[in-house]
Amino acid sequence: MSAAKVKMREKKMRNQPASVQYSTSTLNEDRNAQNGDTSVTGKLPVSGLFARARSAEVKAMLKAVTKTTGSSHLFGALPKHMRRRAMSHNTKRLPRRLRDVANRMAGSKKKKEQAKNKSRKARRRHGNLLLEFNRRQRKNIWLETHIWHAKRFHMVKKWGYCLGDRPTYKCYRPCYRAMSSHCLLQDLSYYCCIELQGEEDKLLAALSQMTSKQAGPTFAAALCLSGCRQGSVTVYRAGQFPSQPLGPVTFLWRPRTQDSTHRQLWIWAHPTLKQDLLPELQAVCQCCEAVLPPVVPVVTPAEANPILEPESRPENPPEAKPVPGTKRKRSSKDAGGPPAKKILGDGTRLPTTPVTWKSSSTGIVINDLTMEMVRYRLIGPQSHSVLAETLEAATQHESASTTGGCFSHTKRFFFPSCFLFCQQVVCVYAFLSNHHCVIHPGIYSTGELPSGTVLGLTVDDPRLTLPTKKVKALPSVKQLMLRGVPAHCCQSFLWEQSVRDNVTDNKISEQELNRMRSEVLVPGSRLSPTPLQGRVPILLVHQPGKQVGHEMNSWGAGFDLLLPKGWGMAFWVPLVYRGVRIGGLNMSLKHSQNKAAPHFPHDYPDCPAGVRLQEEQEAEFLDKFKRHPPAKRTNYIKHGCLAPFCCPWQQLAEEWELIMRDGGEERKEDSQIQTTTQTDSVMEEKMTSQDITVTRDRKSLRLLSGWCRPTTSKGQRPVRVGEVPPLSRSAAMSFLAAHGMSLVWVRLSLFSKGKPEFHAMLCVPTAEDLKLLGKKQGNGGPQEPLHRDHFKSRIKCWKKDPKKAATSSVSSTKPECKGSDFPSASDPDPTTSEDPQSSSQASSDLILGLWPDPLPSVTSHCSRVTLGWATQGDFSLSSGCGEALGFVSVAGLLSTLLNQPLEHRGKLLLRNPNSLHYRFAKINIEV
Amino acid sequence: GSSSVGRYLLCEINVSDKSQLLLLDDRAVATAVKAAVARTHGDYGLALCTIRFSVKYLNTHTGIVLLRFPKRCYKLLWSALPFITSITTRGHNIPCFLNCLHVGGTIRTCQKFLIRYNTQQLHRMLPKCKNEEEKQQIREAILDCSLEDGTKEAFEEESESEEDEEE
Repeated sequence: MSAAKVKMREKKMRNQPASVQYSTSTLNEDRNAQNGDTSVTGKLPVSGLFARARSAEVKAMLKAVTKTTGSSHLFGALPKHMRRRAMSHNTKRLPRRLRDVANRMAGSKKKKEQAKNKSRKARRRHGNLLLEFNRRQRKNIWLETHIWHAKRFHMVKKWGYCLGDRPTYKCYRPCYRAMSSHCLLQDLSYYCCIELQGEEDKLLAALSQMTSKQAGPTFAAALCLSGCRQGSVTVYRAGQFPSQPLGPVTFLWRPRTQDSTHRQLWIWAHPTLKQDLLPELQAVCQCCEAVLPPVVPVVTPAEANPILEPESRPENPPEAKPVPGTKRKRSSKDAGGPPAKKILGDGTRLPTTPVTWKSSSTGIVINDLTMEMVRYRLIGPQSHSVLAETLEAATQHESASTTGGCFSHTKRFFFPSCFLFCQQVVCVYAFLSNHHCVIHPGIYSTGELPSGTVLGLTVDDPRLTLPTKKVKALPSVKQLMLRGVPAHCCQSFLWEQSVRDNVTDNKISEQELNRMRSEVLVPGSRLSPTPLQGRVPILLVHQPGKQVGHEMNSWGAGFDLLLPKGWGMAFWVPLVYRGVRIGGLNMSLKHSQNKAAPHFPHDYPDCPAGVRLQEEQEAEFLDKFKRHPPAKRTNYIKHGCLAPFCCPWQQLAEEWELIMRDGGEERKEDSQIQTTTQTDSVMEEKMTSQDITVTRDRKSLRLLSGWCRPTTSKGQRPVRVGEVPPLSRSAAMSFLAAHGMSLVWVRLSLFSKGKPEFHAMLCVPTAEDLKLLGKKQGNGGPQEPLHRDHFKSRIKCWKKDPKKAATSSVSSTKPECKGSDFPSASDPDPTTSEDPQSSSQASSDLILGLWPDPLPSVTSHCSRVTLGWATQGDFSLSSGCGEALGFVSVAGLLSTLLNQPLEHRGKLLLRNPNSLHYRFAKINIEV
Repeated sequence: GSSSVGRYLLCEINVSDKSQLLLLDDRAVATAVKAAVARTHGDYGLALCTIRFSVKYLNTHTGIVLLRFPKRCYKLLWSALPFITSITTRGHNIPCFLNCLHVGGTIRTCQKFLIRYNTQQLHRMLPKCKNEEEKQQIREAILDCSLEDGTKEAFEEESESEEDEEE
């Protein structure tokens, strides 16, 4: 029997009585002892002795019977078949007779279970549930569709919101199919709207500091300014173009009214951008006067104080007409405390936080309309059919006589042509002929609308026309589309704060609607008199699809639907019932990937938001990497991948600039090209380290795009090639003078198989590689030789060291490590020119398989020179091959293009961080 | 499983001279039982007796012995117990006979019975006492018959035992 078993047995038999007997050897002594004992109690009669023996035995037996064998727990005494799972956790699982003892035993370590004293039923009761929801959205803002999403999506907490990342069901391909042939719906309400009000010229003057015409149309673009179109623009810090960009925004002017110069502008920005954008806007507009919410009438109490805001549903009907049979127990309870109100809008903000800033000098008012409107995005060619089925233009008969109706607050003198306007919009919306519109029959795709078209509408409550079953919206043949929308059709009451609030406050509750439905004579029929509150002003904004490149034009076009807050679910469910797919954050990334558009903030490494995201991502990836056991990790050092989790853009750009300058100087010595001298001197001046920028200048992009196109490759339309000056060394140099430290957004499509991944390296093929490629098309591509990980020995040394370090912790352990460092440092390393000696200080935080800071030369680390990295990569369902999107250094790209033969121009190699295999890819710069 | 199921016989060894009891040990008792079984039931009985027979507990002061027999054949083996007339131990032949007090399915029930039985015995001894001294001693013994924390159970046993006194 093993020692453990003996121990166990001892423990078990601890309380059991042993036989009372005398062994042969001890018998005599015992007898003596017994005799002695009897001699002491010699006079005692036998009966006394006997009685004592009996009592001793009884005692022993009692001990055996009452004491449990198991030491640990009470239920050790229970027979096996009566033991239950988690008995020690919950004493109620014990038999009742043991519960008291168990409770007494557990009393010392009292559980905190008392907190959940409410039953589930009580917790799920409406009021309590609402309170709970309100508590939970104090930290992160919930969208109005949050509950709907939370039941179906993996939720992530991002940017201060709770957002659905991806559905819990498998729908990657169906979602793609929806985007390319039907309709995909997304809730983009987390996008922040900033409203600017003021004189037109002053607004434009202020905003022009933040943009540049070189990067495309600005805030002042004529079409956008009229209010017919939504514009998009990349904003920069004031006066800093082309450096220090902030990020892309979309903007929408309110159509002019009555030749008034007072204008209203909405700027929609990503939440991570808002924190940079808002102070910048305030600085530009000189709006530093924060207006406290209650003072300014522009800010409604609803906005300022969302918790005290009256609930969206009308409160009166339930009290006024109690449904027989239901007890109104809560009404008395509600009277005691303030009743819980549904939070609409931003619940995380303090009611006293200012949302309005005003300038006394320029008269511009900035309004933060975050969460004031709901924004849904419909992507796909059939999104207009979905909208047409869901939305029904409001019937206008009551607008003439409304007194207590929805728009009672509307200043009608402000829109004298209100009714006419309604009518026209209805006509446009119904895709019928109207003398204002140029009609094109037979347009079947959403993408055929001019991009950014805005359509203001007043529609009926879509819940009234909710189909009983989910149906797929199909395009009707008679459908007509409009080419142009007159300016007054873009007008909407949604621009009016008071109307928005009114509509939000007067929304019919679901409960009330159901009651009305139940009172309809024919069940299931439509509610005939449309309730007055059931009219909602909305804005439809067309979103352009893929605009760049030649293939798949206008893929992923769609509509954005802007609603007043509080109406989110009222529109969401009817839209879902039209057979749309719902996408999350993941899908919006894929959407922009298929559009070959950079996605904010992932693909904006020069913007503050992009930098922040990159840092977050790096930490996240590193954390994930560290969770694997070291033996199961990819050794990125061996793969020659310096930075698998982040892209050191700055270092890349600097190195390439250095390379180009060196090259130039050499040539200058050779005095082959005289023209470079000038550019060199220019570059010398720009020696000072600057931040990287992403080239967004249209002209330069067009030039680059022309240059990377192989001139003789078939299948390429020779579009505009003639316009582009041919690539020469002098042209490249002059280009570089302006864009030395720039990166450029490129799309790469793989020739053969292979799926590019996040942070794949984009490298320059050597001449031999290109020769091989020409010979055999099926050739997979070159291989990277395996690198040596000479940090491994150092880590080993450190693993041993701590014992030594512990003994000599006060004195520095550096010398020991240094000693072991030298042999490894002297190892012949074929690729790295610079050995990271300095990193030995940080050896303690060496991670096996990752290159420690500082990185060696990123460009020349591998056998193929690195140009850049991919920020997104996937198998593209639209083109049927692997596609990657990323940035390359402009300097690197130009030098590569210069050295490549004409027929192979624009061919690069792409290598995933966890692979040694290079794949050929074609580079595309699309403008 | 069923292979481990046994029957526990709680027996009392009755001897004329109480001091002789001290000489006993469990091996001697086991040999005596086996010999008796062999005598009454032959080789078959002896074979049955070798399988799962053991002396679980022996108290030489009180003469209480706890025997385990296989459940399958405990009646057969039990029938041999009255034929034990003497136990040979350490060169002495002690004349005695076994009186079976209780048959239980577990040691625990036997222990419980033994508690009851012993207290009962003590109570019975009380009126038979010749002098006050003895009486006092037995009273002390009775009072001593309880664990510090197990008093309640002991009292229960006592109250039960009083009802069974007619046996």
